[in-house]
Amino acid sequence: MNDCPNPDSPAAAAGQGPARRGFRLPAQLVRLVLLTVGIVVSYLAARYVLTPVSFGQYGWYRGNALAEIAAREPVYAGKAACDECHSEVLEKIAKGEHQTVSCESCHGVSRAHAEDPDVKPVKLTGSHCIRCHEANPSRPAWFHQIKVREHYGERCTDCHKPHQPNEVP
Amino acid sequence: MKRPLTRRHWLTTLGSALAGVMSLALARKAKAAVQKVLASAPAPKGYDPAKHRWLMQIDVDRCIGCGLCVEACKTENHVPPEPTYFRTWVERYIVKKPKPGSDTPRGEVVVDSPNGGMHFSSALVPREEIMRSFFVPKLCNLCEHSPCSQVCPVGATFETPDGVVLVDPKYCIGCGFCVQACPYGCRFLNPITHTAEKCTLCYHRITRGLRPACVEVCPGEARIFGDLKNPVANDPIQRFIATKRVMALKPYLGTGPRVLYAGLDEEVR
Repeated sequence: MNDCPNPDSPAAAAGQGPARRGFRLPAQLVRLVLLTVGIVVSYLAARYVLTPVSFGQYGWYRGNALAEIAAREPVYAGKAACDECHSEVLEKIAKGEHQTVSCESCHGVSRAHAEDPDVKPVKLTGSHCIRCHEANPSRPAWFHQIKVREHYGERCTDCHKPHQPNEVP
Repeated sequence: MKRPLTRRHWLTTLGSALAGVMSLALARKAKAAVQKVLASAPAPKGYDPAKHRWLMQIDVDRCIGCGLCVEACKTENHVPPEPTYFRTWVERYIVKKPKPGSDTPRGEVVVDSPNGGMHFSSALVPREEIMRSFFVPKLCNLCEHSPCSQVCPVGATFETPDGVVLVDPKYCIGCGFCVQACPYGCRFLNPITHTAEKCTLCYHRITRGLRPACVEVCPGEARIFGDLKNPVANDPIQRFIATKRVMALKPYLGTGPRVLYAGLDEEVR
């Protein structure tokens, strides 16, 4: 490099002696370094602006996603909502074998009714009983099952009380 | 580099660099503000993911195969109605009697889940051919080292601090890697949004103090749900693990499934 002096270099332009040459980077290298730094800085700047603010709050994902997923309105009201008005029915159920059954298992989605009692809940049919109690060899043996065709009666509720199944007809 | 570096030159460069950095910070603040305004609905107030650790357990002996959980999940989460998309489903296992003269202790195993097990028919195999039969509810196994999160190329699916694996629908690019990665088949691509979907453990319900929809409607308490960090009196999940012999699905894969099953059998995968 010493043999071919660079006419562009400031050292050459200033006409300085060879003693100071060793301290200067060649101009093309300086340009390369500046270009690299520029690319890295603009990448970092773009990433800083484009990455969502909450990214990395809990981990390698958008922290705000948790709140956004949680923001959806529930559909089923839940047993606690029924208990606010119908506590006497729930007390009855709690004594019988249907104590583990939730209100909305049979009565269907009742959120509209829970929010406004004037909205009537969904009307029930006997098929709700059969859905669980129809005999099926895959059902566990402890579970009460009937063969609907061989079972006496037209309607389940003629004999059985769904809220107090222990009361034998 | 033709001009000599003067003080003015340096000051100008430094000043513009500072201005650039400050405008970046401002842009970020403005973006955060816009994001806050555009958020559709506020999340439940006062919910801190670090203070909960949700868990689901399944008691196979208590499942009666009514399919209410499957139906409730579809209703609660607006899962597409086509019979191939489920966030939770119920499988029926039928172990047939061994053929006469064969030296095996049990016969063929038949597994089915018609329409996700929403309405099981009673006669798939004649009763006299059945050695034993049972139902197994399936859902996301809430893996501690979830393969679905590991393969996601954009960070759209993740394990939350409260123990749920969620999908960020705004980030998901619908590549389907996670659908293939899940060894439990718990994921699908939503045909409308074209993003990956799965059981969220009803995240919008549990953050409000409600139970997941499937747990809510399960008539036999086959699904036991609770919070490990906030045990209640006579805690059902503690009672379950103390009184039952429990097992996770495919533990040998090292996914660390957190959903525990009681009453599992050899056939169940």
